[in-house]
Amino acid sequence: MIHTENAKAQMRKGVLELCILSILSQGEAYPTEIIEKLKKQKLVVVEGTLYPLLTRLKNTDLLTYRWEESNSGPPRKYYLLTKAGKTYLTDLQSSWYDMVSSVNKTIQNSK
Amino acid sequence: MHKTVTINISGIIFHIEEDAYHVLNNYLMAIKRYFNKSESGSEIMSDIESRIAEMLQSKTSAMKQVILMSDVDFVMQSMGQPEEFADEQFDANSSNSHEEQPLQESQQQKKRMYRDADNKVLGGVCSGIGHYFGFDPVWLRIALALLLFFAGSGFVIYIILWIAIPEAKTTAEKLAMKGEKADINNISKAVAEELEQLKKRMGKYGDEFKDMAHKNRHVPRNVAEKIVDFISDFIMNIGNVLLKVIGVFLIIFGVVFFLGLFSSVFGLSFMLDSINGKDWIDLILLEGKDLYLGILGIAIFIGIPIIMMIYGGFKILFNVHYTNRWVNLGAGIFWLIGFTLLLYVGVRTGNDFNKNAKVRENVAINAFDTLYIKMTETPIDLIEVEDAIDYDENEKQYRKHHSESDYLIGKNTKGRYLLGHAQLDVIKSQSDVVELVVVKEAKGSDRKIASERSKNIDYHIVVNDSLILCDQLFRVNHADKFRVQSVKVILKVPLGKVVYLDKSLENMLNDVDNTTNTYDGDMINRKWVMTETGLKCIDCKGLE
Repeated sequence: MIHTENAKAQMRKGVLELCILSILSQGEAYPTEIIEKLKKQKLVVVEGTLYPLLTRLKNTDLLTYRWEESNSGPPRKYYLLTKAGKTYLTDLQSSWYDMVSSVNKTIQNSK
Repeated sequence: MHKTVTINISGIIFHIEEDAYHVLNNYLMAIKRYFNKSESGSEIMSDIESRIAEMLQSKTSAMKQVILMSDVDFVMQSMGQPEEFADEQFDANSSNSHEEQPLQESQQQKKRMYRDADNKVLGGVCSGIGHYFGFDPVWLRIALALLLFFAGSGFVIYIILWIAIPEAKTTAEKLAMKGEKADINNISKAVAEELEQLKKRMGKYGDEFKDMAHKNRHVPRNVAEKIVDFISDFIMNIGNVLLKVIGVFLIIFGVVFFLGLFSSVFGLSFMLDSINGKDWIDLILLEGKDLYLGILGIAIFIGIPIIMMIYGGFKILFNVHYTNRWVNLGAGIFWLIGFTLLLYVGVRTGNDFNKNAKVRENVAINAFDTLYIKMTETPIDLIEVEDAIDYDENEKQYRKHHSESDYLIGKNTKGRYLLGHAQLDVIKSQSDVVELVVVKEAKGSDRKIASERSKNIDYHIVVNDSLILCDQLFRVNHADKFRVQSVKVILKVPLGKVVYLDKSLENMLNDVDNTTNTYDGDMINRKWVMTETGLKCIDCKGLE
């Protein structure tokens, strides 16, 4: 049981980057919004995972952000895709589809 | 009523309960340490903090202004533990920090032993220990109840644990009490963990040393610092392992000592009624109450350190950092009371041995050319000697087994009394008359009492023409106590007179001077003539 949980967590981690970029491709968002979307799809278990990832993507210039005041809480960091980020996402998406189809084939063949 | 702390997260002010604050603070510190070595660590940290602020804000309202433990639990649950949110890329950047973080983490949130007041029968000791090791406290309760039959040690152990283990009062403490799962092998696990950590650190330092040797030859100061770090760390780690081992030993030895003390103190008081040890104690101590004061004194004097030993062992073993000032103070005062009792009895008794007094009694004796000295053996039938060591049941005699310094306890219809062996010495008389002197000696708190005791010594010599009959034993009344009483018979013989030492004197002679340096035991059954230089044997020829 622990083993499958671990494997699932590893898989999620692998696709998290792709998912975040995809969410941001629909428009800018701040972490809480991203998390809510991910949670809805059960793609994230603990929120802490998100922050180092966002920072890394920002540091590699795939994302950028702007500050926005919030009337109810601390100022929000709205992330949006850069041009490089959009290209990267397209790349990533096509290789994802490729991978999904080849993985599916492999699984079905082994059945 | 609860105490609250005001904190500022991402510029938002929160009022938070004290327990919850500690937990949240530890959590944030853990995250901070986790991201510490990464360049963008502070940025990630502030992102996380601002998210936490947002979450906490959603938990407060005009009606509920204070952050509670449950809110912090919620935050920790949704945010996750630092180990869980590792980003692979990020890991690669900060592999160094990653290696040691989980270790520190587990140390930070280490399970602690507390008493569980919510599930208590008496003080919640058993349920607390049950939480710590993860078993049902019922078994421990049964074990302790059974231990009650072993000198009541179950009770003492329980009390010590009750004092040593603090009660889990706050929510944070209750959480730490239940903590991560641990099994019954916790002790060995804790030691193994420490060793493992030690090994890792040693390995790390070893690598650093290698690096340093290659690269940093030009920075000796740095190397020196590292060496100091290494040594202090090494000592710390060794110390931690040793401490656990010491804790276990303290408990084991403490319990063994305690049982030993318990059985000897209580066993002694029972046994004293049956053996003559009680007689001896009665003869030495001034009053009966001194015995009980003395036993109480010894029990406290030795018992308190033993109990504190067990107490300290438990504290070390289970990382109990809380110190109860009153326990230490109370133990100290108790110990001093025990010490004072012992001192009182000791000084009081010792004082009665303080001064020495001798009493000389002259026995009239007529002049004869040859004097015959014999010992009157105190008939065994007349006294009942209680000293089992000296009394040989088979031979119905004790004479052969004793040395002249032994004392015996006799018993007659009037009660008990002390018996001692008289000693005999033959010396040269300064005048030309035979003198027979009995020197009685005893001790007392002052000279008067001592000399009174000396006079009270009951000893008889019968002179029958040239035959001197010395009693083997002298008697001391029970009321006079044992005060190192002694009786010495001194026969002063003028020059040229002859003394015959009878066989019976074998054990009575005490270092009698003679020209041939013959041992006392070999002087018996012989005739001796007094010369200028001492006694000289006149019928020993051909015997040597």
